Amino acid sequence: MKKLKNQGSNICFLVIVILLALAPILAGAGIIKSTSMVLFLGKCIAFAIVAIGLDLIWGYTGILSLGHGLYFCLGGYAMAMYLKLQETQGGITDFMQVGGLTELPLIWRPFQNIFVSMLMVFVVPGAAAGIIGYFIFKSRVKGVYFSIISQALTWAAYSMFIALSPYTNGNVGITEIKSLFGSIKGSGNIDNMMKVFYLALLLLVLAYASSKYLVDSKFGKLLIAIRDGENRTYFSGYKVSKFKTFIYVISAVFAGVAGAVFVNFNGSITPSQMTISYSITMVIWVAVGGRGTIIGAIIGAFLINLCEYNLSSGSLVDIWQYIIGAIFCITILFFKGGIVGLVKERISKVDRKTD
Amino acid sequence: MEDNTVLKIKNISVCFDGFYALTDVNANVKRNSIHFFIGPNGAGKTTLLDIICAKTKPTKGMVTFYPEGREKIRLMGMPEYKIVTEGIGRKFQVPSVFVNLTVEDNMILSLKGHKGILDTIFKKTSKEEMKWIYQVLERVGLKEHAGLRAGALAHGEKQWLEIGMQLVQRPEIIMLDEPAAGMGKPETFKTGEILKEIKKECTIIVIEHDMDFVKQAADTVTVLHEGKVLMEGSIDEVLADKTVQSVYLGRGGE
Repeated sequence: MKKLKNQGSNICFLVIVILLALAPILAGAGIIKSTSMVLFLGKCIAFAIVAIGLDLIWGYTGILSLGHGLYFCLGGYAMAMYLKLQETQGGITDFMQVGGLTELPLIWRPFQNIFVSMLMVFVVPGAAAGIIGYFIFKSRVKGVYFSIISQALTWAAYSMFIALSPYTNGNVGITEIKSLFGSIKGSGNIDNMMKVFYLALLLLVLAYASSKYLVDSKFGKLLIAIRDGENRTYFSGYKVSKFKTFIYVISAVFAGVAGAVFVNFNGSITPSQMTISYSITMVIWVAVGGRGTIIGAIIGAFLINLCEYNLSSGSLVDIWQYIIGAIFCITILFFKGGIVGLVKERISKVDRKTD
Repeated sequence: MEDNTVLKIKNISVCFDGFYALTDVNANVKRNSIHFFIGPNGAGKTTLLDIICAKTKPTKGMVTFYPEGREKIRLMGMPEYKIVTEGIGRKFQVPSVFVNLTVEDNMILSLKGHKGILDTIFKKTSKEEMKWIYQVLERVGLKEHAGLRAGALAHGEKQWLEIGMQLVQRPEIIMLDEPAAGMGKPETFKTGEILKEIKKECTIIVIEHDMDFVKQAADTVTVLHEGKVLMEGSIDEVLADKTVQSVYLGRGGE
């Protein structure tokens, strides 16, 4: 029984992975009618990856970032720029011509190469988070002050992406792109879709496994120690700011990878994925699923998005934002542990009875 | 005499916006002794500890640490985590343990060495280290509670755990800010006995109000009053002193 409890989150994750793995097969066999459902699940995988990253810094380390959309977008844009250049065969794009550019800007050049581009998906968000984190954590900014700074930075980046429209296509973003394996829309491209989908699933498994390894090691205990008593952790001889910067970078890289996965399924990326409200939505996934547990972040990301997918069409579309807001408030006020917290409570109650 | 000094506090003054919290404080802490700093509220005791562990910068003066078999170290301007790794541990006034981790994990995090990122990710705690942890836990009387969440411990037990967390780092100096605060008589007595036991291996600096506790454990007592050293000596000398009686002991209703 005890063993089962310890393995609970792994079993739960396994079930989710199996269900996901079945989705494209069912679509291929025609049981799931629309492939758009599969594409949507692909996006959910991306959301789950960014949620894991957020959980590492918020749930475990107690750093609430309200600006992870920034890193999500940095990864997403890196992927989108590569995919766009595939479309134009490395040439200049339409919006650049409209913006008055005559040749491919320097900043776009590295994205002609697939290896460099894939590297950029990791490096750009990681480096940005490293620089930001280094200065913020070194000066020991924490709590709401950190959250506010993270928001402000995201907002600044959002404005910048819109202002630099010859390079980024401003508000419209980078659109009409295919996936890494070619077009995935329509029933004729189901093979491509499967490849992208399983690659995304593999990334989710890797994200889960690596973060599970991290939080189960002494490092994970240290993150909790920082959350519960930062001062004490300094006086236990740890350079807390270094650890915070490190986990912040890891979290940003997760967000970047998630953004890259998202672009493949979405076929476009726009600065709206960088907005503060989008970033806060990510926090809601983690809160509802259960912060401080990796599986909780994944469950939250899937659940909220599946609800949104099914409910936000039709009559509920106008009030969906209110519903999600209410769910968030209720979770924070009454169920701090989220869904996973509730389940754990129930299990330990049953456990006590059987003892 | 000089060889025996482990910590030298010299001419320390601290000024907060024109208010002198400490003025020209001098003290020598001897190796393997229990050195108490006592004094009424606002005498500057906690400020002094803050200066030793570099939480507060003194306006004037110098704190020097003489580690065994190593060169002396000036403690000012060092970040706190470095001071810890040099061998000076501190227990806070409010018990601060990691409430969501088990007692054992609290101790593991406090072990000496392996404070880097990669170490914490990949390095497993060795058997010797675990053995050492359990020795310390036994000494502070928490061996049976090793698997318990630290937040579930009683107040006194948390204090002992925090003392244990200092001990497990094998420090040369442990600084304790009111270790007996909020404890009953028997617990306070036990704390005193624990301190007497561990002073064989390190030096202990204590801030305390409880005079019985001071009488039980102190080797040397420094009395602070309004930021100045009133006197320094053994507990008997301090108790016999007329000035001390009037400013401090008289007030506590002793």
